[in-house]
Amino acid sequence: MVRLPRDISTGARSRRAFLADLLIAIVLATVAIYLAAGIGVVGFFALLALLVLGAWIGLEAAIGSLLRRRRKRSGRLRLRPH
Amino acid sequence: MRSARSERRNPPIPFWKRARRIFLLAALACLIAAASSYVPAMNAKHNVGLGVSSVEWMRQNGGNSLVSEIENWYYELNAPEKGGRALTSLPQVGVGTDSPGSRQASNRPGNVKPLIQPSLPGEGVWRKAAAKAGPRPPVLLTTFRSDPEYPHFVAGVAWIDAGRTHLSYVPGLAEPPEPLEHRGSGEVPAAARRRLVATFNGGFPLETSNAGLIYRGKIVESMVNGIATIVEYRDGRVDVVRWHQGPRAPADVWFAKQNLPPIIYRGKLNPNLSDGPEWGETVNNAIRVWRSGLGIDANGNLLYAAANYQTVESLAKILQRAGAVRALELDINEDWTSFISYRRPGALEPSNLLPEMLRPPERYLTPDERDFFAVYVKEGGGW
Repeated sequence: MVRLPRDISTGARSRRAFLADLLIAIVLATVAIYLAAGIGVVGFFALLALLVLGAWIGLEAAIGSLLRRRRKRSGRLRLRPH
Repeated sequence: MRSARSERRNPPIPFWKRARRIFLLAALACLIAAASSYVPAMNAKHNVGLGVSSVEWMRQNGGNSLVSEIENWYYELNAPEKGGRALTSLPQVGVGTDSPGSRQASNRPGNVKPLIQPSLPGEGVWRKAAAKAGPRPPVLLTTFRSDPEYPHFVAGVAWIDAGRTHLSYVPGLAEPPEPLEHRGSGEVPAAARRRLVATFNGGFPLETSNAGLIYRGKIVESMVNGIATIVEYRDGRVDVVRWHQGPRAPADVWFAKQNLPPIIYRGKLNPNLSDGPEWGETVNNAIRVWRSGLGIDANGNLLYAAANYQTVESLAKILQRAGAVRALELDINEDWTSFISYRRPGALEPSNLLPEMLRPPERYLTPDERDFFAVYVKEGGGW
C-alpha cells in the first residue's frame, strides 16, 4: 500500500491541502449544478457568492496589511535612539 | 523534528479559512460552467441590449421565478402614486379622423367613451393609421385616459378591420425556441412589406406561459384547454377563443398562439384576474407595468391595447371599454410591448402607437428575438 509521505515541506503541505479543497469544491459545484433548476440560477448565485467572498477576503487582506504597517511603524519608533 | 518546527513557524490553515476557500473555488467552478452557456448566448444575434439579453438568458436557464421575484420587488418599489398632475393633451396618433360616413357603412367602431370628464381634445376618437388608406381604413387608432385614479395614464388602442386585413404570425429569432421548418428571419419578409399596415408584439415566451402553439397547421407546443388563444383558420378567419380542442392541431387551424386564461370572455371580465399559477411565471397581475392585450369585438374585428402602469385588470377594462367581447393578455414590460402602424405602403413611415413605447418603430423590420403579428391589407384591398 502506498502512503502519502508525512514529513513534507510547508509548501508541499499547502499544495496538498489546496488540491483536496479543489476536489471538494468541484464535487460541491457538480452537486449544485445537478440540483439547481438551471445553469442560470447557478451562475447568478455563484456570482453573488464570489462577490461576497471576494469582498470578505479583500477586506481581510486590507485590514491585515494596515495592521502590519502600523506594527512596523510602532517598532521603528521604539528602536529610534533618544 | 523539522516538521514540528516548520508547523510552529507555518501553522496549518484554520478550518474556516479552508471552508471559505472551498466555497470560493466551488463558486468559481459554477461560474465557469454558467459562462460556457452565457457567453455563446450573448454572442448570438440580438436586437436588444446586454441587460435584457442577460435577463432572458436567466429566464431560459431556470431563473424565471427568480427574475420575476426581482421584477416584482423593483416594480413595487417604483409603483406610481395615485392622482398627480392632470394632462392637458393626449399624444397624437394616426393621421386623420375616421369619417362618420365610413363608420356607418362598414361596422366601424363607435368612438371610445372617455372615462374622465372633461374629456381632452381627440380623446377616444378613432383616427386613421395611414394617410391614403381609402374610405375604409384597415387600422384605426385612438388614445384615452384609462384610469380616473391615475389621470396621467394614457392607453393606446388600435382597431383592425377583419374584412380588409389578414393577420400573420411571425416567429422571432429565439421565440419560439423549438426548431421550426419555416422560422424565417424574425422580421416582416421583404416581399410582404408592400401590404403591411401594422405589426404588434406576441404573447409570453412559451416557457413562461405554459401554453401551446400551432404554426402553419403543425403543433409546435401542445395546446392547453381553457387557455385564451388567437387563432387563424385556414380560410383566413381570425378569432380570439378559449381553447377546448385538446392538445393537437385541428385540421382547419393555420396558426394558434395561446397566452394565459382569457381576460375578457363573453363581454365580461374574467372574475379571477388576481394572481394565481394560471397566469404564468411572471410578475404579479397587480403589478403596474407596460402591458398589452388583444381582443375581438362583436363584429369580429381585432382590438389591440397597450399602456404603461397597467395591472391585468386595468388592461382588461381598457379592452372592454374599446368594445372587446373576448380578449387575452399579450406580452408585458417595456422591452416587449410594441404596436407599430405604417403610414405609407411598403412599410414606410412606421409609427409607434404611443410615443413612450421603448422599442423603435423599425423594430419588426429588422430581425427580432420574439415572435410577433403582422397585419397586411388583403390582396385587391388597395392602399
